[in-house]
Amino acid sequence: MSLATGIVRSVYEDLRGIVLAPYTLAKEFRYTYHGLQEGKIPPKYVAWTWLSTIGAVAVAALLMFPIYWVFTTAISGSGGSLYSTGGFELIPPNPTIKNFVWVIGPITTPENIVINAPLLGELFRIPVPMEPTYILDPAQFGVPRSARSNFLAYAENSAYVSFWTVIIAMSVIIPGAYGMSRRDFIGRKKLLYLYILLTQVGGGLGIAILIALYTIFQNIGWLNELLPLGIYYGAGAVPFNTWLLKTYMDGIPISYEEAAIVDGAPSWRIVYEVIIPLSKAGLATVFVFVFLAGWTDFVIAQLMLEDTNWTLPVGLYSYSGRPSEMNWAHFSAFALAFAVPLMLVYFFAQRYIESGLSFGGMEG
Amino acid sequence: MSTVSDVAQRFKESDLASVLEENSSAALVLPGLLLWSMFMLLPMMYIFVLSLTNARPANIFVGNNRLLGLVPLGEADIIGLENYIELLFSIDAANSIQNGAYGAVFDLFLSDPIAVFNYPFWNSFLVTWAFVIVSVTGKVLLGIAIAMIMTGNRVRGKRYLRGIIIMPMGVPVIFSILIWRFVFSNARFGLMNQFLIGIGAVDEAVPWLTDRWLAFSGYVVTEMWLAYPFMVLITVSALQNVNGDLLDAAEVDGAGFFSRMRHVILPSIKRPVMFGTILTSAASFQQFLIPWVFNSGGPSRENELLLVYAYREAFAFSAYGKGAAISLTALFFIGMFMWVAVKRGNLAEEAGES
Repeated sequence: MSLATGIVRSVYEDLRGIVLAPYTLAKEFRYTYHGLQEGKIPPKYVAWTWLSTIGAVAVAALLMFPIYWVFTTAISGSGGSLYSTGGFELIPPNPTIKNFVWVIGPITTPENIVINAPLLGELFRIPVPMEPTYILDPAQFGVPRSARSNFLAYAENSAYVSFWTVIIAMSVIIPGAYGMSRRDFIGRKKLLYLYILLTQVGGGLGIAILIALYTIFQNIGWLNELLPLGIYYGAGAVPFNTWLLKTYMDGIPISYEEAAIVDGAPSWRIVYEVIIPLSKAGLATVFVFVFLAGWTDFVIAQLMLEDTNWTLPVGLYSYSGRPSEMNWAHFSAFALAFAVPLMLVYFFAQRYIESGLSFGGMEG
Repeated sequence: MSTVSDVAQRFKESDLASVLEENSSAALVLPGLLLWSMFMLLPMMYIFVLSLTNARPANIFVGNNRLLGLVPLGEADIIGLENYIELLFSIDAANSIQNGAYGAVFDLFLSDPIAVFNYPFWNSFLVTWAFVIVSVTGKVLLGIAIAMIMTGNRVRGKRYLRGIIIMPMGVPVIFSILIWRFVFSNARFGLMNQFLIGIGAVDEAVPWLTDRWLAFSGYVVTEMWLAYPFMVLITVSALQNVNGDLLDAAEVDGAGFFSRMRHVILPSIKRPVMFGTILTSAASFQQFLIPWVFNSGGPSRENELLLVYAYREAFAFSAYGKGAAISLTALFFIGMFMWVAVKRGNLAEEAGES
């Protein structure tokens, strides 16, 4: 569990850093101010710091601008189309969250608590001894109760697909990466070579073989099924992530394992207690990539699935349309509800991903 | 005596059991390889068979014929290389080739070289390469520039800024592409048009999606935005490995920013950046969603990158066999490119195999 606590701790530190940023900043200001007064810090130095920081922030703002644009549309009250929006405003007048309420839809207390298990279906059903009441009532926000998006239904499909993607992929990637990193066998180099070739080709390969895949799935009767789709994404994620985790494991000094062997630990304990805790950054990176493979794919899902089984990306696409006809505010809110959690994951995982992807510093 | 023990030794070495024993660790890797092969390698082999047939939804999903008793083909017929010939050559030339009248093809080539070739395919082929060259150049330069800015000595809050700017990497691709489609909307209130009208660069809304090269530039900008986080990540970690002493020494010796860049920084980040460039070129080559979402590879199919071309032929015009042939041709070029790049760039070493 050290992996989970480690991630929680680093996210906590980041959050603390963000919350305390004004305080640190004020302290720095005071320090610089006094330094300038006493002539300890040359003014040129301070001016340069200001200039480069403002420049960097401006670049970041420019890069993020399209996302901000969607955000302003999502909180604007007018549910109009792209044509009727009266030009762009940096801070929209009368911001509202009603478009997000439309995305989530009404939430009531359940009549039954149902516990489902993957594959097995329903396990328990416990009736709740109270009248259903609204936890989130759209009517309070001026949204009709009947008008809701299918966000939660699509999210459930996506979660089901990604669950299997992660389970299947991780269970072959971890032993594969360990074997490639620590053991030797015939064809190991050739396989590694193949995996590297396939790293970036993965997604496009899926589209290139789509015709064959569609024909095969049609023949087996797997069209419009979520489970095979999840396994398929897992399979596609194997080469890149095995190689990534292998590169990461290469950086773990072998002496830790030797010490464990000398102490008489069986090999499963070495993997469980030495390798896995030490490669937590690599595991976190790989987990994110594998999860996203299932969570964000659009092309294959839109071809294989019918509307009852749509995943979030396909659902999002269905809310877009001709600029004159689509509800631009609803679309934006839906899109953000889908994308913002993932953006946050990347924001907090940045240092893990950076260290997981650092090809140069892995000689260890 | 030594010869006898040699033979014994050799026998021992060739013993199947001991070979299996020595390579038992392969069992760790095999499940992943098998899984991948089932869902990727198998369809790849199947698509090769399909590309040799006249498969359409009307014949592939009916009947129970199997090639060699294994490969399900429905009622589709094997037609050999016909799909490939029709793909590469114009209708006239393809007919002549199938009739064995190579002389006629040669005459046609002499009188009108372009008339020999199948315009849609070669157009798509050239547009794909143009897209790769332009977008990769843009991505690499943008990535290095952003990485340099975000690792600058005097920039405060670098870590948070870097966290912010790599967020597009986590955003679902379909989300980004849809947004960029509306940025490059033909409408007056598309973001790009608003901006251009706002700064007074144009008076009328620019028809981004209905003009061929305007749409193409929209694809390039979108692709650059999609891929810059990857390039920034790679460049930043490479920049952090640049030898600080070397930089200081250069600065003491009076090297300016540009000579430090040229003689110290660029040589040290060259290999990782090359690596990222090769990977990202492969991604550009297989771009499908941008043209598809923007305007289905339009206007009038002129900007169809190879995979879009294959997809349209297969699923919009129900020509599975022809679509398969296009896909395989595209795969062939990606494969060749990656193979050459990995060989030339010694990428296996880059992966920690030095």
